[in-house]
Amino acid sequence: MIPTVSASGLSLRYGGTRALDDVSLRLTPGVTGLLGPNGAGKTTLLRVLATAVPADRGAFTVLGHDPSTSRGRQEVRRALGYLPQSPGFHPDFTAFEFVDYVAILKELTDRTARHREVRRVLEEVDLGDVRGRRIKKLSGGMRQRVALAAALVGDPGFLVLDEPTVGLDPEQRMRFRELIAHAGEGRTVLLSTHQTEDVAMLCHRVLVMAAGTIRFDGTPAELTERAAGRVWSSTERAPGAKAGWRTGTGTFRNVGDPPPGADLLEPTLEDGYLLTLDGAGAEVAA
Amino acid sequence: MGAVRGVSGALVGAVARTVPWRAVGAGAVVGLLVVGLPRMLSGEPDPWLALNLLRGAALVFALGLAFLLDDPARELTTPVTTPRRLRTSLRVALVAPVAALWWTAALALVPEEARPPLGAITLEAAATVTLALAAAALAVRLTDEPEPGPSVAAAVLTTACLTPLLLPFHWDLFVPVDDPRWDAAHQRWAGVLAGAVLVWAACGPEPLRRRRVLRRDRPAGALGRPGA
Repeated sequence: MIPTVSASGLSLRYGGTRALDDVSLRLTPGVTGLLGPNGAGKTTLLRVLATAVPADRGAFTVLGHDPSTSRGRQEVRRALGYLPQSPGFHPDFTAFEFVDYVAILKELTDRTARHREVRRVLEEVDLGDVRGRRIKKLSGGMRQRVALAAALVGDPGFLVLDEPTVGLDPEQRMRFRELIAHAGEGRTVLLSTHQTEDVAMLCHRVLVMAAGTIRFDGTPAELTERAAGRVWSSTERAPGAKAGWRTGTGTFRNVGDPPPGADLLEPTLEDGYLLTLDGAGAEVAA
Repeated sequence: MGAVRGVSGALVGAVARTVPWRAVGAGAVVGLLVVGLPRMLSGEPDPWLALNLLRGAALVFALGLAFLLDDPARELTTPVTTPRRLRTSLRVALVAPVAALWWTAALALVPEEARPPLGAITLEAAATVTLALAAAALAVRLTDEPEPGPSVAAAVLTTACLTPLLLPFHWDLFVPVDDPRWDAAHQRWAGVLAGAVLVWAACGPEPLRRRRVLRRDRPAGALGRPGA
């Protein structure tokens, strides 16, 4: 499949910290999940791909455009929708005015067409009824949807979402999941998240980052498969387990290297993720 | 260029609403109060006092302008096609007439017999205000902080308080009108203004220049157009 995004050898240092270390990837249409612990470099990678910050080394293209040139950067930005981790707003703007402002910044200059587009994206994120309400009067989940609408305006081919569900209640998260799934139809979405269930439910592909490098690149099923035969239950906490916790039934769920004859359990994506972070499989799977 | 013109036309209304008018307005009002103080107290016009009150008023107005480049939506609006430099220029263009009117009003509040030479004091005010804007631009350029205004205002205020104390006698900027160093001081003020403008201009581009280095480092043939 033709990649929307193709990156090679991206590296970036912040002082003495290597935030990105020789990251290469290819993204194709659909939702790709980006998992990793805090400080893994997820946000840095997203900001580099969103042209918000330049990499020290390496290069990438978005829809064939190279952002290392001024013209290429403009083209990348035309193809881009970006939802940052902590989107800020001008609080006195209404939802409509704010998305309209972003639309103007994205060069949608024709007033009638722009307003039609703004109404479309606000309807898409289910904010059509509150579009005239000031942002400072909206709930956290609604503000997040305003930010998503701002990212979607102009129908970008590449959508970068940095932890969009953080701080949302379960109902809002489910709603957001629907929106992301819808947004991923026909475009390339890179979704950074801590929620493994979001990845399991939304993504056709998952990247796991740690210490600025990609530790895993494959399908959610392949990541889950990494934990096959390595999750077991026991009545006591198993001393050799990489991770283990008492479940609601009173038994322990252990992840790691099981003892002979252990009562093996069906692994989840989270188990595969934990084992990947533990260094059990640092090679790239796909 | 045509696109930029079109965007800036559509942008004016929206950008006008992003200007932190409260901070700018507060600076303007307090500045006028400072300069109008002797009038309110019915004091005798004193040239030395009038000069320093005008300096104080310019500083207060500059503190309000230190918030001009604050952009709570900065992170969201960084990767857009309209350059930040254009948005910043629009904000300044929108505030410039207000600043000119305000300064005219401030000067009008000073009785004519106590008013310092207009050109010289206007140069001082312009340098002070531009210095605050340059500091704000520097903060935007060097940090990810969307609203650096409070820190910038604190830095400008501290600098303004320390400068008269720390500058050597021969480099003094804050001299009275009848001081023989008046002309030389205003040459230095012109230097401050020029320096501030240069810093401000240098801070205009978004931090993407380093990307030029990448061309040397890019692995040959690593990337191409999709399908290539």
